[in-house]
Amino acid sequence: MYVYRIMLFLVFGGYLLSPLLMNGWSDPEAAWYRPFAIWGGLIALTLWLEQKRKLDER
Amino acid sequence: MNVEMHVEIVGVLLLGLGYLALLFGCGFAVERGWVPVRITRHPIVYTLALGVYASAWAIYGSVEMAAHAGFGFLAYYLGAAGAFLLAPVLLVPIQRITRTYQLTSLADLFAFRFRSRWAGTLVTIVSLLAVLPLLGIQVQTLGEAINIITASQAGGSVALLFCAVIAAFAVIFGARHSQSHGRHDTLLSAIAFESIVKLLAMLGLGVVALWMVFDGPGDLQLWLEGPGALLQQQTPKLDPAQWRTLLLLFFAAAFMMPHLFHISFSESLSRHTLLQASWALPLFLLLMALPVPLIWWAAQSVNPDIPIAAYAAYLMTEHWWVGALAFIGGLAAASGTMIMIALALSGMVLNHIVLVARPPEARSDLYGWLLWLRRGLVVAVIISGWVFYQWVGRHHGLIGLGLAAFVGMAQCLPGMLALLYWPGANRKGMIIGLIAGVGVWLWGLWLPLMFSLPVPTLPFTPLTDTGAPVWYNVTLLSLAVNILLLIVISLFTRISEGEQSAAEACSVDAVIRSKRFPLEAATASDFSTHLAHALGDEAASREVNRALQALNLTPQERRPYALRRLRDRIQANLSGLMGPSVARDIVDRYLPYRHDDTPETDDIHFVESRLEAYRSRLTGLARELDGLRRHHRQTLAYLPVGLCVLGDDDELLMWNQALSQLSGISGESVIGSRRDSLPAPWPGLLGGVLETTSTPLYKQAVTLHGKDYFLTLHKAILSGSDSRGGSVILIEDHTEMKWLEDELVHAARLASIGQLAAGVAHEIGNPITGISSLAQNLRYDTNDPALLETADQIQQLTQRVTKIVNSLVGFAHGGRQSVPLPASPVALASISEDALHLIHLARSGEDVTLTNETPDDVVVRGDAQRLTQVMVNLLSNARDACGKGGEVHMTAGRHEQLAWWRITDNGQGIDPRVREHLFEPFTTTKPAGEGTGLGLSLAYQIINEHQGKIDVASPPPGQPRGTAITLWLPLYQQDDQPTHAQDSDC
Repeated sequence: MYVYRIMLFLVFGGYLLSPLLMNGWSDPEAAWYRPFAIWGGLIALTLWLEQKRKLDER
Repeated sequence: MNVEMHVEIVGVLLLGLGYLALLFGCGFAVERGWVPVRITRHPIVYTLALGVYASAWAIYGSVEMAAHAGFGFLAYYLGAAGAFLLAPVLLVPIQRITRTYQLTSLADLFAFRFRSRWAGTLVTIVSLLAVLPLLGIQVQTLGEAINIITASQAGGSVALLFCAVIAAFAVIFGARHSQSHGRHDTLLSAIAFESIVKLLAMLGLGVVALWMVFDGPGDLQLWLEGPGALLQQQTPKLDPAQWRTLLLLFFAAAFMMPHLFHISFSESLSRHTLLQASWALPLFLLLMALPVPLIWWAAQSVNPDIPIAAYAAYLMTEHWWVGALAFIGGLAAASGTMIMIALALSGMVLNHIVLVARPPEARSDLYGWLLWLRRGLVVAVIISGWVFYQWVGRHHGLIGLGLAAFVGMAQCLPGMLALLYWPGANRKGMIIGLIAGVGVWLWGLWLPLMFSLPVPTLPFTPLTDTGAPVWYNVTLLSLAVNILLLIVISLFTRISEGEQSAAEACSVDAVIRSKRFPLEAATASDFSTHLAHALGDEAASREVNRALQALNLTPQERRPYALRRLRDRIQANLSGLMGPSVARDIVDRYLPYRHDDTPETDDIHFVESRLEAYRSRLTGLARELDGLRRHHRQTLAYLPVGLCVLGDDDELLMWNQALSQLSGISGESVIGSRRDSLPAPWPGLLGGVLETTSTPLYKQAVTLHGKDYFLTLHKAILSGSDSRGGSVILIEDHTEMKWLEDELVHAARLASIGQLAAGVAHEIGNPITGISSLAQNLRYDTNDPALLETADQIQQLTQRVTKIVNSLVGFAHGGRQSVPLPASPVALASISEDALHLIHLARSGEDVTLTNETPDDVVVRGDAQRLTQVMVNLLSNARDACGKGGEVHMTAGRHEQLAWWRITDNGQGIDPRVREHLFEPFTTTKPAGEGTGLGLSLAYQIINEHQGKIDVASPPPGQPRGTAITLWLPLYQQDDQPTHAQDSDC
């Protein structure tokens, strides 16, 4: 259940902060792939949580 | 039309039809088993099939969105990623419900939860209206892409041809069976193949953009900082509130769009696979999204004034194969989406509109009728997409069409969240909220789109930013009205009992208290007869057999519990076939419960079996509680006393192992039965203890599997505020105790008779002494030889009577351990003779020959009376062990300082099982009432007091049968002093 709480926190926190992702489009200083890097990090985190859940259910 | 253009159309036709032929080839390869099952059933195939979310919007619409909102296009991908990130709390509960109740669509789920066929019909209509623009987008992108490639207006006709081929694929591989539930490996594999194709196409276009149009990432960055910077700054930035609203719309679409709901929940996939998709699908979407800005920038770098941004991929280079790559990617995305939408919508329309309007009658070809209806609907849905494109779509951009679809589908989101997390929501609130929300959507967005009406001014729009787009205002207003009405009406109106139970079944933290009612059908085979009225003989018997096989039951099954499960299974199977509303109507009408005076009780066995099934999913405190439940259950199951639990309706809830052993009836075969259907004598026995007010019922005589038993039954009524009712009955086997009690009574009676005999003997002694004295006097008073002879005989006879009387008195007084053991000399011959006298007094065993060969000179130290008692017991046993014509020998001898004294018979011998306990009290092989089981125990004790021992040989050496018992006693010595017997514990 703790894993679910982390997920809920991530999703709702991400939901509120996600408009920041759009800033990079018109900012020449920012790397164009920045939103994708953040997104990739989120996927890695989900993968880690999923592995943790599997261990928890054993 | 010139020749060159005609050739180009042919080229596009060949390309498109070639790809679709490849898709057919993929379908056939999977169906024929040419592709290994380990590949077709791999979780990655499922994730790729879920990639159907990335429709033609992902190929074209996202580029258009990037052109108009910059990174705002990511909302389409991140909304879906968020939904799958929440899989454990959102998707898994939905999967649990749909699988348990065989629900195949969103409309099924709503109809089931809100117990209303209108809810299902309403959701179907909303889905139909909402999906139509999305379906139109798929066809439109095909047609427009063909127009661009061929620089012609032939796109519409070619798209119709492609639609026909796609419809044929959907019918052949997706609508082959009437049942829409269950895993379709072929279809999933084909959709997964399409996902791979569109992913490769997008990645290929990204590579072209980055390394062919630009000169690598560095060159792109230079362009973005240089000439591209101005163009990007001109791109409108999406307002954060609008971005969040878009995220919400795409979040809802990711699991509620009919085609996505179908793949996520209707295909029989494991929970593990769904959870794996929680990270794998976002990864797929990331890879799909990555090339989108690259394509747009590449096209912008080539031509800053692109007329239709959606088709930028066709314009970024002059290479024909880049256009072909984009076209194949678009075709793969569009065809996959069209196939899945058609299959999902056809099922919904069939179950919630067609079958509700025209319920199936008993017909012999029910399955065929359903199948053809479904196929017709599949084709109709795909063609309606083409009609929409021709009629409406071609006049609108992809963003407007797509958002109209997603805002419509989001109207079901409040109902869906209430379904999962708010058991208090009711059908009135949901339906009125949904109608109001859909009304706002239709009025503000859908109708103006369809009929090119002017956009109406919505109320409350001054509350939002000026200049906010229509879709944004419509979304906020429609969802606000929808949610508000759902909450307010649910709070102020009653929820029906049936809806309450369905709400609990759907709720994430449901506490489901399934109730038990008896069914009118008495056996499983009755089900076929009853159902035949609705489905026809063939379909009814097929459905019942399918359910019986799934539950591993036989047609003869009579247990109420099993029949209730059978009913549930049939309803779930019919629900998969024709929707939950029709299935429930059929089952309620033809397999009704009997609502008589039987008390309503919780179905504990069902709850337990479900807990067992879900055990691996329990975590934390719930898992600990389940562990505790299992521990308590095991305690009862392994209790060494028989235990059964009966509900208030006389249904058997528990039958533990000890009772199974005692009764010879396994718990599995009787749990769930009613008490009166148990084998004899249990109905009467358990009924007796339930009816009586005075428990326990002691030592009830019953015959179980041919043997007599005495059972004691205790009863406790389960009552109290937390109790679910019923009675618990303990059944103790008191057979052995009853037998021992009988033996004790018998022994006590024998002892009384012995004392009586001693008293009688004592009384006889006085007259005998008188007779002897008189005979003595007679001898003194006469010299008549005849009288003297007579007096001698009288005296001899009185001595004999005295001797017998003395032996009897001595035997009766024997066995009292408090009497000290005299150390007087005892001749074994004399004891043997006395014992023979006593044995002859008994009437039984007259046909057994008793011979005494005990020598006179064997003299032991001991008590003559007690040794007589030993010998009488041994002789009695030996004589009883012999049949007619049996022989018993007594003999004795010396061996060093001991005398041996042996009784040998040629009887039946001693059972080896009895021999170990031979000298224990109450050990006997004689029928009850004939032997006390105390004789040998007493003999052992007496010989032990004499410091002797007993040897048993059965059969004796050199003899085929019989028994020899040898007593070893110390020989009498002249210097022996009297000793006192010691109490023994033996």
